[in-house]
Amino acid sequence: MRSLVALRLVLHDRASTAGALLGVVAIVFLVGQQLSVFFGLLSFMSVLVDHSGADAWIMSRDTRNLDAGKLIPARYLDRLVGLPEVEWAEPILIGSNLFRTPDGSYETVRLVGSRRPRYAGGPWRFAAGDQHALLDLEAITVDQIDLPKLGRPAMADLTEIGDRRVRLAAITQGARGFQGTLVFGTLEKVREIIRTPAGQVSAIVVRFTPGTDREAALARLRVVLPYASVFRTEDLSWLTRQYYVTNTGIGGSFGFSTVIAVVIGVVIISLTMYTSVLGRNRDFAVMRALGGRRRDIAFVVCAETLIITGLGLFLGFVMLAGLLHFALDSAIPCYLPAPVPIVLAVGTLLVSLLASLFALRTALQAEPAQVFH
Amino acid sequence: MATLHSERLARDFSDGTSLRRVLFPTTLTLHPGELTVLSGPSGSGKTTLLSLLGLVLQPTEGRLRLDDRDLTDLDEADAATVRRQAFGFVFQQPMLIEGLSVRENILLAIGIQGERPSAAHQAKAEALLADLGLAGTGPLQPRLLSGGMKQRVSIARALVKDPAVLLCDEPTSALDAESGQAVMRILKRVALEERRVVVVVSHDARVFPYADRLLKIENGQIVADARERYLP
Ligand SMILES: Nc1ncnc2c1ncn2[C@@H]1O[C@H](COP(=O)(O)OP(=O)(O)OP(=O)(O)O)[C@@H](O)[C@H]1O
Ligand SMILES: [Mg+2]
Repeated sequence: MRSLVALRLVLHDRASTAGALLGVVAIVFLVGQQLSVFFGLLSFMSVLVDHSGADAWIMSRDTRNLDAGKLIPARYLDRLVGLPEVEWAEPILIGSNLFRTPDGSYETVRLVGSRRPRYAGGPWRFAAGDQHALLDLEAITVDQIDLPKLGRPAMADLTEIGDRRVRLAAITQGARGFQGTLVFGTLEKVREIIRTPAGQVSAIVVRFTPGTDREAALARLRVVLPYASVFRTEDLSWLTRQYYVTNTGIGGSFGFSTVIAVVIGVVIISLTMYTSVLGRNRDFAVMRALGGRRRDIAFVVCAETLIITGLGLFLGFVMLAGLLHFALDSAIPCYLPAPVPIVLAVGTLLVSLLASLFALRTALQAEPAQVFH
Repeated sequence: MATLHSERLARDFSDGTSLRRVLFPTTLTLHPGELTVLSGPSGSGKTTLLSLLGLVLQPTEGRLRLDDRDLTDLDEADAATVRRQAFGFVFQQPMLIEGLSVRENILLAIGIQGERPSAAHQAKAEALLADLGLAGTGPLQPRLLSGGMKQRVSIARALVKDPAVLLCDEPTSALDAESGQAVMRILKRVALEERRVVVVVSHDARVFPYADRLLKIENGQIVADARERYLP
């Protein structure tokens, strides 16, 4: 019966319900949108690592993130391929140069060279063409999302990167780097474009033989390559993200706008819930006189908050889903890893319960004796 | 049904700086089957006495018993539970809750502590509505009813839990003469036929003819206690 009363009050006091709903929706939508951009950017930062399909990454000593490694000797490969723990090991070259667009201007692109036929560290999803396109020595890929920026080159178009002739052979999907436009090519072509001396590579990616104990294998690699950094793929991904989040101020600025969104939501929720409870003060006194204990009044107020929050979560997530759907095909970074919506929902629930504490306190002050005055 | 006893029940109120005695020690036995009218000038302490009798106000001194059960010094939750079980209230204003239907307002007196009203309670609520001339109003919002009808709904709300004691503070003063008479006839019947303790606070002379017992209070003291047969 108490829940029913709460529902009836929520339905009847439309103005305050709408106000509190707005607060909840503001939190879910604004924070959710901030988080999706944030996680979108995070995924850009480590996109190459996350899609490499490797178990371990080998880079130069004291490397702190994927984009700041020195070159390492390619002959490390020879030491790796003989190990029983290693199923395969592949070199990767990463560097930047200028892409000449069809209208003759230039764009900086980030080049990633990988070796035939496995192309580990290379492109993983295609909008046009496929991995075989990179069999051609001059072949490169650009991402769908970057086509406008690069002057909409067409498939098979010839152009230059770093004054070297290249041919657009495939268009990738979802290959977006934090450092800018990602262009994949063959190891040889990229070496030529970014002018890397022979015998040097940026990183080596390693896949362990199935059934290998990963920790033991990593330890083995560290023994074999004492002058290199050996990362677990997840660790390199984490380090790279952490590096950018702390060193670019992204973390702080997202934290700030998220906090602002929560504060705005809390203020709206607590003000409207407070006003609503104030307007119902006499009714709470009546409930007390009828035999309601303080905890029954608390139950009604909390149930009201829960109903409004539930409704607000639903509306907020519908709006968020709409936004994400729209943003998925745009240049707006957006990505919500699975646990985030759950954390967001639980967090919003706690925050809105917290915001209704003030209203709860007021409701609990209703004394049964008031009904006689 | 039960008898309500007050033993030297008194109450002080502080008016900012000093304590003022609003009700002097009052000893009363209120019997079931009797409609007691409590009258007196404004500010004499009628509402204070009624609130003390109904456990919505704590006495400064004295004791309150319902039959053998001592109701003094109960904590907030226990006092609420006693009110929920044994006390019905009718106020000057009907004090129905907007947003709840008439039926839900009545059943709230059963379900306020979280119980789900049983089919028997629902039937009782409907029977009370019919009995009070409100048949068919159950699903309506209270605001659609007239003042007299609302007051009768509030009587149904007080009676649905079958209370031993029914306490009414000026139940007719907001009503026109005819509705007021109707309400008093109901209260009289509730006392007489259903054997409940019924106390009605009123300074409306039109209420007095319904009284089995008339208490007069002045300056916080009972100054007259007369049975029906002594009334002029
Ligand atoms: N909560 C309170 N705090 C301080 N004084 C109070 C309080 N409640 C009542 N009083 C005082 O106690 C006295 C008696 O009040 P009470 O309400 O019992 O009078 P009453 O006989 O019901 O009057 P009325 O006919 O106007 O309703 C009044 O002087 C009132 O000012
Ligand atoms: Mg009064």
